[in-house]
Amino acid sequence: MIWLIIVGMASLVFISRYVFLEPKLPLRLSHNTQRFLSYSAPAVLTAILAPIVLVRENTLAISFDNNYLIGAVIACLLAYFTRNTLLTALVSMGVFFFIL
Amino acid sequence: MTVSTNIAPLQFSSKYTAMWRGALAISPLSIAVIPWGILAGSFAIEVGLSPLESQTMSAIVFAGAAQLVALGMIKAGIGVFGILLTTLLITSRHFLYSMALRRDISPLPTRWRLLLGFLLTDELFAIVATDNSQRHKFDRWYALGAGLCFYISWNIATLLGVVAGKNIPNIEQWGLDFAIAATFIALIIPLIKNKSILISVLVSLVSSVSCVLLNIEAGLLISAILGMACGTVHEKLKGESA
Repeated sequence: MIWLIIVGMASLVFISRYVFLEPKLPLRLSHNTQRFLSYSAPAVLTAILAPIVLVRENTLAISFDNNYLIGAVIACLLAYFTRNTLLTALVSMGVFFFIL
Repeated sequence: MTVSTNIAPLQFSSKYTAMWRGALAISPLSIAVIPWGILAGSFAIEVGLSPLESQTMSAIVFAGAAQLVALGMIKAGIGVFGILLTTLLITSRHFLYSMALRRDISPLPTRWRLLLGFLLTDELFAIVATDNSQRHKFDRWYALGAGLCFYISWNIATLLGVVAGKNIPNIEQWGLDFAIAATFIALIIPLIKNKSILISVLVSLVSSVSCVLLNIEAGLLISAILGMACGTVHEKLKGESA
């Protein structure tokens, strides 16, 4: 029973990750689809991170009490001015964990 | 043969550098995932899985959100079909990732496609897709280095959770999810090169927060697609180039 669940889940997850990487799949992405997909990285990553930063205990938390928001603003500024991913991640994490 | 032997040392070092660069790029996310891995391991033990089952789940499913939700459902006594249906819902965003990377990965040899497909998590997509947009080329070794680093981190964290069992208090509240937010911000900001991309980010932001507040299940996918659509439409209307 547990093994069935594990193997079933593994199959579904793998299929969802692999299916469009298969060249035999008869799918040609049109120019417009390619343009649409070119927005996937910024759009998906934003959709993952925005709720982490802006929603605390199921309510919208736009205030100075929200450490995540302050940390995120610092990360935005660092990213904008340094353009260095690793530095931005490490410094803003340092600020978040040790100062905020 | 002769040719490939001649250039082998150079290839080796550039492969190694690319893998290392990938591992380094994903390292903040590999740290951020540790508490979730520990949780996946300890929660599996708590739910009643054997240590082998618990570790195998992380080793072959390799999908944090789906694993934690499935474990909760096992605990609640929900059947196999319900669990797999929920898994499909949670994992559906990966269809988008594989479609977005189709142009880069589908021409690769089978073993590369299978391997990178297996390793294609949110985090790997984040690292690879943003690297692509910056450099306009796909590096398989970079992707492999990042994917393996993240896979190892996830599985070691799970092992720690399995060993610790159910004695891990409030690990979700350590605040390590901030690391995800910080890293994603660091990846997204340099991508915002024109108004269309800015619009897709802002639409996705408002939509994803709204969906969470309204408890809409597939909010991530809905918001991503909405943001992508708005970006594309704006680009078409303004005739903006990439």
